[in-house]
Amino acid sequence: MIHFVEYVLRGALAGAIYALLAAPMSLLFATARTIDFAVGAYALIAAAVAATIGGIAGAEAGLAAAMLSAAIMSLIFVGLKRLGCEDGIVFALASFGLSAVIESFVLWYWGARSFIVSYVAASWSLGGIRLDQQGLFNLLIAAIVVVILHVVVRHSSLGRMMRASAVNAVGATLAAIPVEGLQMGVYLAGGLLAGLAGLLVLYSAGIDFTAPLGLTLSGFGAAIVFGVGSPLRCLFGGIAMGVAQALASGYLSEALSAMTPFLFILLVLSMRPADTEALAGGRP
Amino acid sequence: MNLRMLRALAICVGAVAMIAGSARAQDAPVKIGAVLSLSGPAAVFGIPERDAIQAIVAKMSSTTKGGRKFEISFYDDKSNPTEATRAVNQAINDKVVAIVGPSTGSGILAAGPIAQRLSTPLIGPAGTLAITDPKNEFYPWIFRAAPSDASDVRAILQDMAKGNAKKVGIFYQEDAYGKTGVDLAREVGPSLGLNVVETASAPYTATDLTAQATKLRNAGAQAVFLQISIAALGSSFVKAARQVGLSVPIYANAGLAQRSFAENVGNEVEGLRIVSIGNLPYDPTPGEAELAKMLEAAGKQPQGWGELTGSNALMAALGAIDRQKGKDITGASMRETLESLCDFDKFARGRVCYSAKDHDGWHEDALVITEVRNKQFRSVP
Amino acid sequence: MSFVARRGNTLVLAICVLIALPVVTRNAVWTDSAALLGIYALLALSVGLSYGQAGILTLSQAAFASLGAYAAAICTVRWGWPPLADLPVALLLPALIAFPVARLVARLSPLATALSTLAIGSIIAIAIRSADDFTGGYMGIAGVPSIGFVKAPASYAWLIWAMVVIVVFLYENLCHSAYGRALNVLRFDQARAAADGVNPPMLVSAAFAISSSIAGVSGWLYAHYISFVSPESLDAHLSISALLMAVVGGAEFILGPILGTLLLDGLTRLLPAAELQGVYYGIALIVILLVARRGIFGLIEGGLAQVRQLRRSRSGEVTALEIEASRP
Repeated sequence: MIHFVEYVLRGALAGAIYALLAAPMSLLFATARTIDFAVGAYALIAAAVAATIGGIAGAEAGLAAAMLSAAIMSLIFVGLKRLGCEDGIVFALASFGLSAVIESFVLWYWGARSFIVSYVAASWSLGGIRLDQQGLFNLLIAAIVVVILHVVVRHSSLGRMMRASAVNAVGATLAAIPVEGLQMGVYLAGGLLAGLAGLLVLYSAGIDFTAPLGLTLSGFGAAIVFGVGSPLRCLFGGIAMGVAQALASGYLSEALSAMTPFLFILLVLSMRPADTEALAGGRP
Repeated sequence: MNLRMLRALAICVGAVAMIAGSARAQDAPVKIGAVLSLSGPAAVFGIPERDAIQAIVAKMSSTTKGGRKFEISFYDDKSNPTEATRAVNQAINDKVVAIVGPSTGSGILAAGPIAQRLSTPLIGPAGTLAITDPKNEFYPWIFRAAPSDASDVRAILQDMAKGNAKKVGIFYQEDAYGKTGVDLAREVGPSLGLNVVETASAPYTATDLTAQATKLRNAGAQAVFLQISIAALGSSFVKAARQVGLSVPIYANAGLAQRSFAENVGNEVEGLRIVSIGNLPYDPTPGEAELAKMLEAAGKQPQGWGELTGSNALMAALGAIDRQKGKDITGASMRETLESLCDFDKFARGRVCYSAKDHDGWHEDALVITEVRNKQFRSVP
Repeated sequence: MSFVARRGNTLVLAICVLIALPVVTRNAVWTDSAALLGIYALLALSVGLSYGQAGILTLSQAAFASLGAYAAAICTVRWGWPPLADLPVALLLPALIAFPVARLVARLSPLATALSTLAIGSIIAIAIRSADDFTGGYMGIAGVPSIGFVKAPASYAWLIWAMVVIVVFLYENLCHSAYGRALNVLRFDQARAAADGVNPPMLVSAAFAISSSIAGVSGWLYAHYISFVSPESLDAHLSISALLMAVVGGAEFILGPILGTLLLDGLTRLLPAAELQGVYYGIALIVILLVARRGIFGLIEGGLAQVRQLRRSRSGEVTALEIEASRP
């Protein structure tokens, strides 16, 4: 039993990272009905810059680098929009392009090495289970970020404007909402959050140039599995995926444990009621 | 065979004879291809392999010790078997007589049939056992430029067996390299008195390995064996092990012997043992030191053993060229020469002899057990 | 006449293949590229059917292709089946998995559907690499024999492109059938389609199953041509590439995915390789998307429509306002 609890706890802590990567996706979907597949790459560039410079200055520079990358993505987004593109999937595919650019730049500039910092956090014992402060810190940050986002999206005028932009961009523009500016801002915020996730990965584990796709897809799963609409669901999605993964690697064979996150996603999705959006012609 | 073909053949033979007779044939540089993983997950080794080859070529001014001009061109296999076949096809079309690479085992297995069909040997810097399996139809055309995975695993487990641990837990990455190591350890372990009690794995991009470390701890492992080539995963695991209270000796296979691992992971890896192919960055033999100097002259910092395996493959090709002094060199002649090549010039340690029965060439004497001390891999005497 | 008109795409493709292949197969490297491009084109076509027609954004096509490839490898190498006997397996196996999965998820939103295809693709890939004794695990299976009469790379190039033409022919027929029209209605308005008596989930699932079969054929060709399959051969990256190829060419146009394949793969050949390849590739991709948002074919179609409008306006049939409105 104690082992079971331990796996659940560790999984929940691990899920914090997924939640942080999922939050920007949910936010962007709420504002622009698209997905940014470059979040994993933002995390990578933040970690790479932070590991190279080191210390607090490094962390700041890392976040700046992630936001700069996201700014490029927001410019691509605006460019596509100005040229008349309204298809969310085209923005998403362009973000794959940017992800490839960043990943390849990191490989070229830093070589194939891994980014690792030696950082030993103190640990607490909880009923015989030793937990790193770093892990708890990760979860705390994720929770704070998600709650703030939730409040902003659901209960502020900014959030209302964001949701209005997604539902009806023309209507929102007519209502004097700066739709494009809002959406660019959300891309930037996404860069910041993904950069934060990258720093946390750097300090609690380590990261290398192969990471972006895996990180992006983990975040994508966490964002979608309980519904993409709300940042709060990202937190639950991330934690649920983390717990499922930890329990599986604790109790199941390697093959089954590798499959678990995906089986979990399929299970949750197949139990979901039909999306009204799909019925109403929401398909591209 | 009709008359036209016969005539064409006659012209070809005549032309070849004329060219062979003239002195210019000997001056034309011999072409070698290098098909390496310059992007994708295997770039961790592919890039150092290329850097070493470039440094050596620059130092030798594209002339072998025997005075023959050579020319090397690089191709990227993108860590992908399909791309490896395309690159090998392209290289052979560019008239190379031998190919260094592909970098990965699956790349070599995919490209093997092409090498056979187009009569050009591959000298692969990979440890994958299957590439020199005599059952392969293309066996004659593949030569190995590094100790096989079996040698690596046996060497590190032998070192582990010297300690008190009897129950071993294994952590490995979810790819061909990781899985081969586990299977070999299960096979070799019992004969050394080591019992594999538990295994755990993770994909390249896992961000948290505490569950895996907990699993090995719960199984009562007295030592842990890491079969990893992504340094970030190694760092992640040692952090997780410390966190969950898995404080047992850790042994790692050669994949983790990378500078970025030794220098950046903190004190928790002090005493961790890793088998390595030579010890280029920290305790080089005179030959290895020579290669390290060339790399530094080219502005590159030695990263681990990728440079050595890359140089092994190149030096084998150059050795084979020099054994054919004054002759015309073709893919087939390279293959024949390689198959009896023995004690050629090289930088790595160990005695190497290829033969028709042994396309591995490199064995356990090319390996060294190292220990992490003061953020460096120090060779254990 | 209408037979020809309704099969314009097939004719165009067949003529292009007949003109290009004899030239291409004179060079060994081009021949090899042509064969692989054909395999990728089939994969992209399968995305075109699934995404462009049925609206399922699929991230699992490479996994279906590897089912086809492993079916070929296991039937011939492990069980010693004669050549071609493995083709039905390669066709049916992916469809048998794709259909029930699509039934489960076709009613979801596009993103959720995309996520489930990603999940099923990953599950297939993990299952394949974990079944050590059966699939050779991570090492894969080497020595897959040729397809009997087809041995040389040039013959493979011909066979593969013949397959592409056949698939395009069937695809075009499908588009002109009642099913195809129903699919098209479905893509724009599911409620309308349901009101017309179409069973949307059923139809979408069937389209997805057919698309997975096309991917299976591409894998079958891959295994026989390369003679080696491993989990790395047809991996998740290829699923994404196939999607990009389809969209870049124009996913909703029948020949779009093929054009996208030629373009994107051509780019990776022409651009300098090694570490910086991703930078060039990514920038090229973004530029292409900026220039042609509905794919190259969409761009051509838009251009043609404008020219036509302009002609009509010269003859005084439409007003300037209508031209403005017709701009994409």
